[in-house]
Amino acid sequence: MHKEAGERRDFLPKFAGILEKYGAQAVLEEGYGSRMGYAQDDYLSSAPSCIFATHREAYGQDIVLVLRCPGEEEMRWMKPGSLLVSMLHFGTRPRRVELLRELGLKAVSIDGIVDDYGHRLVENLSAVAWNGMEAAFQVLEDTYPPPGLRSPKRPPIRVTLLGAGAVGGHTVQAAVRYGNPDLQAELAGKDVPGVIVTAVDRDITGNQGIMQEILSRTDMLVDASARRDQSRPIIPNDWLAHLPKHAVILDLSVDPYEDMDGKHLVKGIEGIPQGNLNQYIFTPDDPAYDSIPDFVNTKYRRHSVSCYSWPGIDPYGSMYVYGEQLRPIMRTLLEKGGGENIHKDGSYFERAISRALLSNWPL
Amino acid sequence: MQTASRTIGFPNMLEEEGEKRAFLPDFIHSMAEMGFQVVLEKGYGEKLGFGFMDYRAGRSSIREGSRPEAFSQDIALILRSPHIEDFELIGKNTCLMAMLHYPTHPLRRELLKSRGIQAISLDSIRDDFGTRLVENMRAVGWNGLEAAFNEFEKEYDDLVRPDGRAWRVTVLGTGMVGRQVVDAATKFGRRDRNSRHMKANGEGVVVSALGRNITFQKGRVRQFLEGTDVLVDSTQRDDPSRPIITNDQLADLHKDAIIVDLSVDPYTLDADPPVVKGIEGIPQGNLDQYVFEMDDPKWDEIVPDAIPSENRRKAITCYSWPGIHPLDCMRRYGQQLRPLLRVLYRKDYEALSQSERFFERALHRAKLDTFLESTGAL
Repeated sequence: MHKEAGERRDFLPKFAGILEKYGAQAVLEEGYGSRMGYAQDDYLSSAPSCIFATHREAYGQDIVLVLRCPGEEEMRWMKPGSLLVSMLHFGTRPRRVELLRELGLKAVSIDGIVDDYGHRLVENLSAVAWNGMEAAFQVLEDTYPPPGLRSPKRPPIRVTLLGAGAVGGHTVQAAVRYGNPDLQAELAGKDVPGVIVTAVDRDITGNQGIMQEILSRTDMLVDASARRDQSRPIIPNDWLAHLPKHAVILDLSVDPYEDMDGKHLVKGIEGIPQGNLNQYIFTPDDPAYDSIPDFVNTKYRRHSVSCYSWPGIDPYGSMYVYGEQLRPIMRTLLEKGGGENIHKDGSYFERAISRALLSNWPL
Repeated sequence: MQTASRTIGFPNMLEEEGEKRAFLPDFIHSMAEMGFQVVLEKGYGEKLGFGFMDYRAGRSSIREGSRPEAFSQDIALILRSPHIEDFELIGKNTCLMAMLHYPTHPLRRELLKSRGIQAISLDSIRDDFGTRLVENMRAVGWNGLEAAFNEFEKEYDDLVRPDGRAWRVTVLGTGMVGRQVVDAATKFGRRDRNSRHMKANGEGVVVSALGRNITFQKGRVRQFLEGTDVLVDSTQRDDPSRPIITNDQLADLHKDAIIVDLSVDPYTLDADPPVVKGIEGIPQGNLDQYVFEMDDPKWDEIVPDAIPSENRRKAITCYSWPGIHPLDCMRRYGQQLRPLLRVLYRKDYEALSQSERFFERALHRAKLDTFLESTGAL
């Protein structure tokens, strides 16, 4: 993946071996896996038939598997009729859908592979919550006033959670454990008061009076929401004035700021920067605030933690999980000879893949 | 690999009157389409309003039979575990599939082992990450909260209180069920109810989740209990011999507060160590009765004398929360089980391997033999 320098993820050697077992020869770009510490030999010992090629050659294969969506240039390198398997987010990327169709490509959007109940089969929402929470508590440890985060004399930590859906559920679990079970065990062993999570949904977040009261006693404010209307924030910037000075804001929903031909899309918590794997911790005077669009109010600031790709913080763990989840998907695709033979009434995994096919979009 | 046609039996569940669940006709039809010869115990699905003709629907491979017949096919599939007396009916080469809960039911486990029963526990069928493939945690959380707010809605239209207070829910436990509870509680257990509440300009609901690093501090917990309208137990305790909330602590809840018990640990005082409920002094409900008023005479019948129960609040408790909406529940279980049964059509219990495909690996993890091996008891 050619993304920010902090993006180190590639599929593990074991996964290349699995693809070989399913009858595919893996063509890996030179240096594949090297940012995670893997050498060519690691891949060759797991998948002896794999070969190494240029960036462009890797995109010239029958199936191209890359976790985050490639750029336009790379898509143009692909052969018409070949299959791109990647996190393509058809729903929020109409221009990308248009381009894929224009180029005559077939595509499976990994984020769209869902079971009969709509649950994603390839996801790492647990890592989103745990990685984000761990980073946020590291920051809170620095900002927390005396007697300090690790003191038995401090009151319980108050976490306020916006959104109680799939990510929110994992966030509750992670928050009560400080995002780090070892730290939880250590502090519990010293009788340090724990963490109380208060979850609020739309019927509370619209109530300014109640929200200001909640914010005034919040140590960590977390956005795990999935908004229908991204043109309005859940927490307008002015409300952040009610947060204590030491409070940390954690952004797990990673909605962008965007000017869509005059329609302004904003983050759920207005005025915080958008982070990535290069930088995901922001102090109130961080220069990153200068790059936030002018239509966003950034007057009130607290320490913020935000990352476009939270699972990428632990690249090995992330790629292990994705590899295991993609195993039956790739097996099905290879056995069926690509996306065109996948049937919506077929087996469990066929049905799941069919929901993620570009040819079936919109569902 | 199987060559001859496989048979599968569906015995009725003989539980409390309110237990209506049976696999739905669609699911039974899909078994026949896979190639199974199907035997349904007489009366199967009647409580859900289905007759044998709904199940048969012109398929000659689906027939009615006696209870012993249903239990003696290649596979006997029944959602809740059969009772001890039914174990004698299970055929010598039958594979029993049910929610058998190996870790918490040692006596059942021993019986299965001593009778040489091939068992697959539905609650132990897990993927490579340990996630259950046959489960309805969502229904546990949502049905429990729905039942609690049904009670409040009898008093307050659209759950809008005249004093304009927001509702307060306190959740004990943040595991798989707890996650669903937080989501359900922020929507009063039903999305349509939440929409009505918002349209009526209600004040909303604030949900607080407490892990064990807070619940052990009685002073801290008191601050929460005082303002709590709904107290939910969704814990999984390491030590079930000690309650999380003692009965004297319940005095801190206001008189109209409701307790929701989702963890459904029973009182088993003769076990070693004994097992008590997470919230001390509340009764154990089932699908026949899951709402207990403070003055319900059954309270004293159900709660053992040795358990303090002086402090009482309305309690919502059910052994099997998903069973409250039986059709939804069985539709879900049917969909989850279909790919697993497809594997079992091709392979029998003995042949299941941990190094084969996704669903076969998951089934292998749920075999009694696998469990016994992992505990060194094989």
